[in-house]
Amino acid sequence: MTRYLAVVERGYRGSVETQFADVLYLVRELNRQLGGLDLSLRGLAVTYAVDAGPVGPAAGVDTLPDPRASLRTLLAEGVAVSVADADLDAAGVPGDVPLLPGVVRGAARWSDYRAVWFL
Amino acid sequence: MARIPETDVLLAIMGAPHCSDLLTSALRLTEALVDRGGTVQVWTCGYATMLTQRSLGETKPRNVVDWSRDHPSTAAVVRDLLESRSGLVTWYSCRFCGEERGVSSHIPQVRVRPPFKFGEHVAAAGKTIFLGVI
Repeated sequence: MTRYLAVVERGYRGSVETQFADVLYLVRELNRQLGGLDLSLRGLAVTYAVDAGPVGPAAGVDTLPDPRASLRTLLAEGVAVSVADADLDAAGVPGDVPLLPGVVRGAARWSDYRAVWFL
Repeated sequence: MARIPETDVLLAIMGAPHCSDLLTSALRLTEALVDRGGTVQVWTCGYATMLTQRSLGETKPRNVVDWSRDHPSTAAVVRDLLESRSGLVTWYSCRFCGEERGVSSHIPQVRVRPPFKFGEHVAAAGKTIFLGVI
C-alpha cells in the first residue's frame, strides 16, 4: 500500500476566486509530491466527471476552473478517478450519462490505500 | 460621504469566498441586471470584505505549470467591473467585518461603511437580496 486516496466531496468552491488553483490543482500537486494518489469524487463533485464544455466567463474572467480538463490531466498522469454512483443519482445525473473516458464508477476501497484524505 | 445612490437592487454578500460559487453568481447577477438596464449596489460583510483588499494586487500568485498566464485577483475583477459600468454599480464594504479580519485597505473604488449604516443602503434599494450567511 503505497498510494494515497483523496476524497473530494464539495465542488465549485469559488470559481472567480480560485481559477486555476482549485482542488484538482492540489490533487495534481499531491500526486506529484507523493508519487501516487488517486481521487474519489463524491457529493456534488461527481459532476466533474460528467463530460461537458467549459463554462462561460464571469465578470470578464475567462480563466475560470475547467474541472473536466483538470480531470483529463490527472488521468493522463496516472491518477485513478472514481465516482460514487449514488452521488451521481443524488446530483440528478442520469444513470447512463457518459463520464470522461477513464473514470471508474463505484466507490474506492479505502483499505487499499496508505492513507485517505478529505480535500 | 456622498448620498447613497438609489439602485434597483442591493446585493448583500454575507457568505465567505472560496466556499461556494456564491461570489461568481453575485458577479453574474450584477452583470445581468446592469445589462438589462438596472442599477446595483453591492455590500460585503464577513470574509467577503477580503475580496477587495488593496494588498491582493493585480493578479493571483503565479500558476507554476502555466507561468506566463495572468489570473486576475478578485480586487482587480471588482475594480474592472466597477470601472466598466461606472455609475451603474457601486461596491461597499463593512468596516467592522473588514477590520475584524485584518483588512486594512481596500482598492479606491470600494467605499467602506460602518455597519450601523446598512439600513440606509436597504432603504436606497428597490430590492435587497442576501447572499449566504456570515
